[in-house]
Amino acid sequence: MNDTILALKEARLTLAGNAGPVEILRGITLNVERGETLGLIGPSGSGKSSLLMLMGGLERASSGSVMALGHDLTALDEDGLARFRRGNMGVVFQSFHLIPTMTALENVAVPLELAGVPDAFDRAAAELKAVGLAFRADHYPSQLSGGEQQRVALARAAAPRPAILLADEPTGNLDATNGAAIMELLFALRDRHGATLIMVTHAPELAARCDRVVRLADGRVA
Amino acid sequence: MPPPVGYLWTDDGGRDVSGLGLAWRLARRELRGGLAGFRIFLVCLALGVAAIAGVGMVRSAIEAGLRDQGVVLLGGDAELTFTYRYATEAEKAWMAGVATQVSEIVDFRSMAVAGEDRSLVQVKAVDDLYPLVGAPVLDHGTLPEALATVDGVPGGVMEQVLVDRLGMKPGDHFKLGLQEFRLGAILLRESDNATAGFSLGPRVIVRTPDLAKSELIAPGTIYETHYRVVLPAGADLAALQTEAVARFKDAGLQWRDSRRASPGVQRFVDRIGSFLILVGLAGLAVGGVGVASAVRAYLDGKVATIATLKVLGAESGLIFQVYLLQVGALAVVGVVAGLVLGAGVPLALAPVIRASLPFPAEFALYPVPLLEAAFYGVVTAFLFSLWPLAVAQRQRAAALYRGAAGRIWPRATHLLVMLGLAVVLVGGAVLFSGTYMLALGTTGGVMASLLVLGLAALGLQWVARRVARLGWLRGRVAWRLALAAIGGPRAEAVPVILSLGLGLSVLATVGQIDSNLRAAIERDLPARAPSFFFMDIQDDELPGYLARLHGDPSVTKVETAPMLRGVITQINGRPPQDVVGDHWVVSGDRGLTFSDTPPVGTTITAGTWWPKDYSGPAQISFGADEAAEMKLPLGTRLTLNVLGRDIEATITSFRKVDFSNAGMGFVMSIDPAAVAGAPHTSISTVYAEPQAEAAILRDLSKAYPNITAIAVKEAIGRAAEALSAIATATAWAAGATLLTGFVVLIGAAAAGERGRVYEAALLKVLGASRRRILASFALRAAIMGAAAGVVALFAGAVSAWAVMTYVMDGTYQFEPWSAAAIILGGMAATLAAGLVFAWGPLAARPAQVLRSQE
Repeated sequence: MNDTILALKEARLTLAGNAGPVEILRGITLNVERGETLGLIGPSGSGKSSLLMLMGGLERASSGSVMALGHDLTALDEDGLARFRRGNMGVVFQSFHLIPTMTALENVAVPLELAGVPDAFDRAAAELKAVGLAFRADHYPSQLSGGEQQRVALARAAAPRPAILLADEPTGNLDATNGAAIMELLFALRDRHGATLIMVTHAPELAARCDRVVRLADGRVA
Repeated sequence: MPPPVGYLWTDDGGRDVSGLGLAWRLARRELRGGLAGFRIFLVCLALGVAAIAGVGMVRSAIEAGLRDQGVVLLGGDAELTFTYRYATEAEKAWMAGVATQVSEIVDFRSMAVAGEDRSLVQVKAVDDLYPLVGAPVLDHGTLPEALATVDGVPGGVMEQVLVDRLGMKPGDHFKLGLQEFRLGAILLRESDNATAGFSLGPRVIVRTPDLAKSELIAPGTIYETHYRVVLPAGADLAALQTEAVARFKDAGLQWRDSRRASPGVQRFVDRIGSFLILVGLAGLAVGGVGVASAVRAYLDGKVATIATLKVLGAESGLIFQVYLLQVGALAVVGVVAGLVLGAGVPLALAPVIRASLPFPAEFALYPVPLLEAAFYGVVTAFLFSLWPLAVAQRQRAAALYRGAAGRIWPRATHLLVMLGLAVVLVGGAVLFSGTYMLALGTTGGVMASLLVLGLAALGLQWVARRVARLGWLRGRVAWRLALAAIGGPRAEAVPVILSLGLGLSVLATVGQIDSNLRAAIERDLPARAPSFFFMDIQDDELPGYLARLHGDPSVTKVETAPMLRGVITQINGRPPQDVVGDHWVVSGDRGLTFSDTPPVGTTITAGTWWPKDYSGPAQISFGADEAAEMKLPLGTRLTLNVLGRDIEATITSFRKVDFSNAGMGFVMSIDPAAVAGAPHTSISTVYAEPQAEAAILRDLSKAYPNITAIAVKEAIGRAAEALSAIATATAWAAGATLLTGFVVLIGAAAAGERGRVYEAALLKVLGASRRRILASFALRAAIMGAAAGVVALFAGAVSAWAVMTYVMDGTYQFEPWSAAAIILGGMAATLAAGLVFAWGPLAARPAQVLRSQE
């Protein structure tokens, strides 16, 4: 049965630049099915990350529509988008973006706390254990290696059991060994929770593991 | 079993997680990062609160001192004062009926003469019961011993300053009028000194019976009698006051009691206290700029965290709460530190402060001034933090990978809350100070200055950007770098000019007012003022007196006028306060003169003077300006009590009265027939060459010992002394403002250090020498300091003009020295702050710096 979880129609993104408006995405039409793993590839500046952020409601389309789980993301305001992400979207960044004043455990617990989960910390501890970092629970990000930080970020993204996992070059800042370990964890999480995974990557071997690959060039699907 | 995918999502937008509990949990975690970014925030807030709390504590201590010492200060439970006369038998009988003890004091000005030296003095002639309460502090012995008659010469005590002036030592003789006295002891402290030393002459105390042969208390002499009473325990002061006023008010009675023993001093302390607190408030506003800068810098460093929280599902309301709670917690720390400092310093220095004050002070922990300071601190902290907080909560999640958004404006609701907080702050200042015009003026001035300074900072940035691109700057690298740094994004110009500019504005205002007042007193007034006032001249002494002066070629002008004193008890049959409020003309007894014809130089502005030898119903010529202030038209009926007798007179003319040149000025001149037979003396002003003044004083005092001379220069000196004390207190408060401004400067310089390190490293790579880089840093600091100084000068001049014109009723003249000091001071302050933080950037190795930026 056709079960579309994300649908973009003629989505455009134009941002104000110093020398005038810059067209980042020039009319993207794309459907993503529930449980699918989609790879976004393309040269630098082609709009991969911007497309991912549009899907996650971190950017608002200048025109066209972005439907996620039946909700029109272009109709939601900034707070509405934040509420929507709370239970539906997990995001993993290339630069980890852990909150430096919080321990690994607290970082993982934040989305659960925001969602009002009563046993947020127990759940967060379980997620940290799942990524093999139970022994680092009380460490701050600055006390963790890059690979460990990305594992914490993965645990944080997966903790609320989001329907959609977005990953923006999750191995881009890691060496080959750590990058491979992170990819294994990411796919394992997808398999365990049955989430839809959309991933920006430059690595051909990662793209090869995706169900489908979309190539972008100059803000369009090539 | 793990929960299913998407289980947290509900169609209504998820659960409400905006509770304060979560916000507080997140805020606490954020604060683990330490207080490093908040040092300036804390220091600014603490300094501002400490200055206000400190002033408030001292004011409360003085008020408590005046209250607790009320009975001692007054020398009894209550005091009834009569001008120009003793109490009548009826009045004495009433006092005797209500009191257990009554003591009579006669107070007047006179001349003390010792050999060839003479000085104006304030004589207190007392009876044997004096003082009913308390005791004066003498250098040795008791008052009865000091005043006792030894070898036929009665004793007297005088203040040290007078002893020094007359070159005397205990046991020496001096004269008051015709009576010789022996200096029995030196008066170190007068316990019943309700005037706190604000009199023209130093104090001399003698016994009233000993004055009998002095011929000083003659008909027409200006003197006051005070009757201090000790009342039975539990006496109702308010009821007794009502009764006394009802019985004797029309006869010129003035009542004071221990509830407000020293209303003049209390009012003075109140006013000065309020003024200093308002100056302190300006300091807090400067601190507010530091608070805003610190909060903004802190939140700038939190862009990634805020965006991350938004990615994870935090709404803007929660973000606002998280950071508001952090600022709130820090504000509490800053305010408490300020209160500890503001309360602790006066308590620690209590003995020093007490010794330097002319009135009693009871130092303790007073909650009201501390609450007032805390109120100002908390409101200021939130008022100035709200903008950066409101901006931060609007930061978008996309900031994580696209960098912080450009200019973000707060929501309208937050702008309204800021406006509300500003109103609360101004309202609080009005409420606490009790002087709404001054409070509104000060807070309005501070806000207007902030606005002008903000615009000036933006203007400077705009000009710097344009000038930096001009052709003639090519090749002048230091200038171009300095201007580019001032005009560039995230420049320090705004916080530097706001904080330093506001601090300097306060100092410029104080400086300009002080210089103007000093100029008015020391330069303008003496040029037009007479050399002497002579008072208490009896009619039979007048011909000889005038002959001495008219025969002296160094005397340029002599004016004489008969003088009585009277109290306006009714205006058109109604109590004067009901008609004209508390205008100074009706607030006590006033000098009154009479004349057949308008004195030479009189300008009648309306109505007509009475005819020569007029003997009809009494007529008065009234000061035109005072009549206009009191809204009294021609034809107004005044009831005057002169020496216990009521005279009803009609205002039939207005005339110009000039009080500005310290010459003779009577608001009221009455037709002679109305006061015929009333005992009076004459007052006279003498204009003479300075070198002849000493001889005139010596001759006239010798010939007429009962005449009192006031040397105008001496009086001006006293006024200047009092002014200097006020100016010093104000300068201290303004200094606190400037110190806060300097802290903000240091904060801005420290915040910009990282940028300068990077800039210096880049410039070094490009071949710039350290000298050139340092010159660029110094130039930008000097330009910003000069800009702040110029704007401060403008703001200070406008404020000083407003104060001189509308508050002091004087004229304003721009004072260039004070102005130059302000501009140079501004440049020096920014240079100092800027250069302190220049060594780091200059010393850093470019490779390390640039590598760390990658």
